[in-house]
Amino acid sequence: MAKKKGLLSVAALSMATVLVLSGCGGNNESGNNGATGANAGNTGASNSGNGGKVETKELSFMFRGGTDEQKAYTKVIEKFEADHPGVKVKITVTAADQYATKLKAAITGKKVPDVFYFNYGDLRAYVNSGVLADITEQIEGNSNIDIANIWEKGVNLYRYDGNVVGQGQLYGLPKDLGPFALGYNKTMFEKAGVPLPDKDKPYTWDEFIEVNKQLTKDNNGDGKPDQYGTGFNVNWSLQSFVWSNGADWLSEDGTKVTIDDPKFVEALQYFADMQNVHKITPSIEDAQTLDTYQRWMKGELAFFPVGPWDMPTYEKLPFDYDLIPYPAGSTGKSATWVGSLGIGVSSKTKHPQEAAELVAYLTGSQEGMQMLVDAKVQIPNLKDMAATWAADTATKPANKQEFMDIVNDYGRSLPGERTYNAEWYNLFFTDIQPVLDGKVTAADYVKAEQPKMQKLLDKALEQEAKSKQ
Amino acid sequence: METKSNLYRKEKYYGLLFILPPVLGFIIFGLYPTLYSVYSSFTDMDGLGQMNFIGLDNYKELWSDELFHKSMFNTVFMMIGIPIGLILALLLALGLNRGIWGTTAFRVIYYIPVISSLAAISILWQWAYNGDYGLVNQFLDLFGIEGPNWLADKNTVKPAIMLMAIWKGLGYTMLLYLAAIQSVPKDYYEAADLDGANGWQAFWNITWPMVKPVTFFLVVTNIIGGSQIFTEINIMTSTGGPEFSSASVVFYIWQKAFGNLQMGYASAMSVVLGLFIFIVTLIQFRLDKSNQND
Repeated sequence: MAKKKGLLSVAALSMATVLVLSGCGGNNESGNNGATGANAGNTGASNSGNGGKVETKELSFMFRGGTDEQKAYTKVIEKFEADHPGVKVKITVTAADQYATKLKAAITGKKVPDVFYFNYGDLRAYVNSGVLADITEQIEGNSNIDIANIWEKGVNLYRYDGNVVGQGQLYGLPKDLGPFALGYNKTMFEKAGVPLPDKDKPYTWDEFIEVNKQLTKDNNGDGKPDQYGTGFNVNWSLQSFVWSNGADWLSEDGTKVTIDDPKFVEALQYFADMQNVHKITPSIEDAQTLDTYQRWMKGELAFFPVGPWDMPTYEKLPFDYDLIPYPAGSTGKSATWVGSLGIGVSSKTKHPQEAAELVAYLTGSQEGMQMLVDAKVQIPNLKDMAATWAADTATKPANKQEFMDIVNDYGRSLPGERTYNAEWYNLFFTDIQPVLDGKVTAADYVKAEQPKMQKLLDKALEQEAKSKQ
Repeated sequence: METKSNLYRKEKYYGLLFILPPVLGFIIFGLYPTLYSVYSSFTDMDGLGQMNFIGLDNYKELWSDELFHKSMFNTVFMMIGIPIGLILALLLALGLNRGIWGTTAFRVIYYIPVISSLAAISILWQWAYNGDYGLVNQFLDLFGIEGPNWLADKNTVKPAIMLMAIWKGLGYTMLLYLAAIQSVPKDYYEAADLDGANGWQAFWNITWPMVKPVTFFLVVTNIIGGSQIFTEINIMTSTGGPEFSSASVVFYIWQKAFGNLQMGYASAMSVVLGLFIFIVTLIQFRLDKSNQND
């Protein structure tokens, strides 16, 4: 009897272990099932509406976005279906933060959608492993789309020749480009009697601190400021300061972590000092990133980053805002990053022609792009359309040209996207808090962090080399 | 005679047929993924297609991976909440067992968090912990205490998540304890009463031993569950907290597998975690056995 009980408990134990081990897989499974379930619903609906047709080519399309974006894209796809009789598109859509996991699960489970969004940083991994299809022919042979009319910078993010990104065959097209500009609260400047910033001449770092100090104020007289210069999120704004000071995270050839460069240290220290020395941002106790966003919306901050995706929300702000270039460090030039999300085609698709057609429709066709721009979910991909769009200074922000300048001129890719994976780059931000809190100097930090990051970068390079075999 | 054995044989097949679905389910959704994950822990699988056998390399790397050690420590640290939760739940159960007014209402109130979605609860608590406008700090403010920015401070983020987990599990634990307490035969207490035992003695010598199997069950399941803590962390501190101070093992596994194309390495971590849970549970069973022999 005792023996039997022992056996039972071993069985129970192994069950427990099995549950742990398979837990991860199980979740993905259910995630996929959920997606298929949703698809099945869609298919059912579309098939019944299309009962008369003999042959329907069905494409699955997976994308992400907020509610506004989902609505806009669904509309464009309806238009696409109307323009292409015989082609039906099944839509799977997720919230932004779940998308990457879902896509990776779909790839692992060999259920890649025909057309899908992907992060441009993943281009090499997906091409090397044969997930993405080469769509050069279909795109160049498509009369509806003039590839020369799309930003080169955007298109080049999706060209890859097996070694270098930026040349070679086309494996996708940019859904859009996301220039990360700097905005300022015009109403606050006017109220405080501070001269407005010049949109053609960036502040120097010293000037920037000076202006911020003038705008950090205690309006209600409780001894604590309730209006601040700024409040940047280190994850998205440090880049501008590092780059405009002539430094970077990564060496030109992408093999060395270069954060121990004195110019990098200077930029990081400058960034941390905004809070700890100059006190032009909400204090540590007073704020974290979420709150600075809220404070900007409430009109308590003078400067805050603005992306094109913010425009619909910021339109309703209770104050007037506009865009300017980021303050310039020792190079004298402003710098910031420009993000992008690609749309690609699965190499396993049954309808490569139609799939590429859908990509072209969403990224480069006049009618598709116009609908998306009108819905205010992105800036135009097409140069001619963008020129008209930027010339409209009647709607906020007036200086839309700044977005265009970033895309055309000084916007760069995020360092983490230039490498096979971004683990090394993310570690920098995981450990950064003590520097921001003023407990560790920038110089000490980079010294301790560089070897750890280099180790992860080496690993990413090794992974990349392996994936090419 | 012959027909009877025929019947039995048929019955045997029917029996086998009936147990087939769960057994098949276990093999397809349990055993196979487990074995596959053990195998992939010896490879450099990237989740996209590549999968080469690399022997023990993943495990060797784990040995010196600072972030793995940190996430393991965080996971174990957050289990401090388990005994706290059990004690609170037992106290509550004892209280409710006294038949004070509104017992049913309280039972419902304490059980609401249990049936709520963990994701929704995590988002709610994320707001509650907000340094500026959060409920927690507003409450502390009433007493003149300036609360920290809970989730952004590496010293408070773990206790903050622990507190939420305790709150979430309280109702379930309490209900199990309540059921156990109510099933203790009344004559034990009567006998103790006659012998002149006070309340504390009655609790310590009757109630506590009688609910021990429930305590054991809860400790075992809570430790297994606690080792796999993920959702709360992923939602409340989406980057693993300042300096990775709230990242659990499962969070790190997820990050490696789905963020950094290192499925093989992630599998190695889940094997280690699985073994860890297996061993801890084994020890618990042993301890429980030796207790029972006393």
